[in-house]
Amino acid sequence: MTASGPISSPSIGFLTVRDFPELGLIGGYLVLNTTGRPLEFHCTAPVRPNRTQEILYGPTLVPYLYGEQIAQTLLGKAKAKPLFICTDVEPALAVRNFVATPVTLVSENKAASDKLHCFQLGTREAAVFANRQQDQEAIATLWREHAEELDLLEPFNRLHEAIDEAQRGAARSAAA
Amino acid sequence: MSRPFVNASVRQPLDVTSVVTAIPVTIYATGWNAAITRSQKIDVVSDDFVCEPPKTASFRFGKPRIKTFSYAFPEGPDWQTSVGDKVKKPSKRSASPRSVKRSATHLKPPTDIVKLQDRLYYMLQPPLETILNSESLHMPLEPFPYQYEGVAFLYTRYAAILADEMGLGKTMQAITSIRLLLRASEVRGVLLICPKPLVTNWKREFTTWAPEIPVSIIEGNQTKRHWLWQQPHLPVKIANYELLMRDRDVVLDSGLSFDLVVLDEAQRIKNRSSTTSQITRAITRTRNWALTGTPIENSSEDLVGIFEFLSPGYLHSGMTARRMGKAAGDYILRRTKDRVMTDMPPKLFRDAELDLSPEQWASYKTAEDEGIVQLEDMGSELTIQHVFELVLRLKQICNFDPATGASSKLERLEADLEEVVASGRKAIVFSQWVKTLDKMRDRLKRFGTLEYHGKIPSKKRDGVISQFKEDPSKHVILMSYGAGSVGLNLQFCRYVFLFDRWWNPAIEDQAINRAHRIGVAGSVTVTRMLTLGTIEERINQVLEEKRALFDIILSQTGAPSSYGLSKDEVFGLFNLKLPKNEAA
Repeated sequence: MTASGPISSPSIGFLTVRDFPELGLIGGYLVLNTTGRPLEFHCTAPVRPNRTQEILYGPTLVPYLYGEQIAQTLLGKAKAKPLFICTDVEPALAVRNFVATPVTLVSENKAASDKLHCFQLGTREAAVFANRQQDQEAIATLWREHAEELDLLEPFNRLHEAIDEAQRGAARSAAA
Repeated sequence: MSRPFVNASVRQPLDVTSVVTAIPVTIYATGWNAAITRSQKIDVVSDDFVCEPPKTASFRFGKPRIKTFSYAFPEGPDWQTSVGDKVKKPSKRSASPRSVKRSATHLKPPTDIVKLQDRLYYMLQPPLETILNSESLHMPLEPFPYQYEGVAFLYTRYAAILADEMGLGKTMQAITSIRLLLRASEVRGVLLICPKPLVTNWKREFTTWAPEIPVSIIEGNQTKRHWLWQQPHLPVKIANYELLMRDRDVVLDSGLSFDLVVLDEAQRIKNRSSTTSQITRAITRTRNWALTGTPIENSSEDLVGIFEFLSPGYLHSGMTARRMGKAAGDYILRRTKDRVMTDMPPKLFRDAELDLSPEQWASYKTAEDEGIVQLEDMGSELTIQHVFELVLRLKQICNFDPATGASSKLERLEADLEEVVASGRKAIVFSQWVKTLDKMRDRLKRFGTLEYHGKIPSKKRDGVISQFKEDPSKHVILMSYGAGSVGLNLQFCRYVFLFDRWWNPAIEDQAINRAHRIGVAGSVTVTRMLTLGTIEERINQVLEEKRALFDIILSQTGAPSSYGLSKDEVFGLFNLKLPKNEAA
């Protein structure tokens, strides 16, 4: 199981952030090729804002942590340059302000927020920031051309499982 | 001071008297005026403004460094990769309508894989439903969810027992797992060992479930077999247990090694001292899987025997059932039909409890009375073999009277088969003895009868099964438990007759499940023939009591129940005590 060389095949990024009450936020990023095979996986150590951050960032704290701190770090670690990035947590969309790659929120149900522009991606509901509506066309085109067979929600199950596993592994190591 | 006031009209001066209104002020010499006029004296106080700066709280809004864990996947597994040179473009046969909504079954790393990267390697692979529905891995039928679970279980394991109840598709699950491993280049050489009658069945199943995988059967004369064993580019080799013993030198001493060895009907190696067990354990290999519907036939020792092949020393005889069950838990996957095939047509049992014919009864009584007397007279020389001989003799009389050929069972069977044939159905009749099947042949001929037992050459057996399946005039197949209890798919049969009973209900279950298996169109009626007041009834009673007891014990461990008669129980059939030499 040795790592391969440069990754060049078309790929799609899947980004999530999970909130563990006792640990903090853990971000995960999975890059799949267009048939669903994993290429890269990255996850963060738990991130927990301190009290000062909570006070000073106010309502911007969550998008700051999810999008700027965690997601930007994860995307920076990846070698693959995905066609587009999917996330299942709305605050992580904020990473779009720091990357050139289109980012979309994917969910079972239509997102209800004035800040979002919603559209359908196959059988899934998708959304981009309202001020980045041009991303919709880009994402829809890339999805049709490369990943129409891919269920855009399924990889998040893998991602969540992997984050849980990594977290359990870290807990085991800490206990040892 | 006053001055005359002049009235302008009269121009006559007026007298004015001035009165001084000033209040005299006396000024005392206080010295204040002098003080006022005196120049101000200014005292200058100098102070240094360099002091402690006010305390402040600063917060940098820079980007803190977050620790990350990264894993780049290796090139494989790419299941799109073809194997060998016999690649067929998959046909576009339609899958069954079961595939309306798919769940997602992920590969599950076993607990003995501890390195995070290795665990993630499996966990982050696409769901099996996605992999197996890809263009290049076409499946002729959509697997059941529990079959996906079985593949996910086997794929990740280096040591595993797939112990599903008969008829749930162990073969398909093993083949699909092998196929995925080969296509992912995780294994390159697989050896599958099965009982001889099942070799062609495995070959056929490979053609169905993994048509692009080249499979070779080790067969022919010694030269050909040796040549086949030595071929490094054959991804899957199928050998039978008997042949393995003949070819032990080439298998063990010529540097052969396999990435995966699969034992079908792995209960064959439950006895650790048997040659079969010793040879299989000595094969050089990386992964081992055991397939069996009955990993425990008589006692937990059977499981220890199978684990000696999978992971030597992992289980041992002294372990309690609970401890053994817990230790083996991660290695065994066992599902039963009633749990996973809730929509499968039922299996209906009908006990045909018959009286012996007068001729049979006379012969039976004589044989039993004389036999018991002989056994009692043997004293310390009595062995279990002697008791078995009497049991077998009595059971044969329960089938047919040796003198007259009378048989109450056959009369009942004929009557039942009339109905079966009239309804256009097909039936399997099982017996322990080929001689018993021979005696039925003429009387059942009118039903269109075929035979499948030890006297039918192996090469002809597939033809018999095909004819039974396809020829509408053939309604009945006579089978021996030994030849027909495992590996055959006869789900087009709706009736099974157990003309006599096997010692071990697990074998009977295997026989019944030739018909009651995936794909069965309707309920399967099983008629168990039992003669009242005979040895058959006593054996059945003991087995039923054991079944209840084992169910209680084994339900705690999750292990499957299967059992036969112990020595004590065999002697007990005739109220005989177990001699000391047999008790050892």
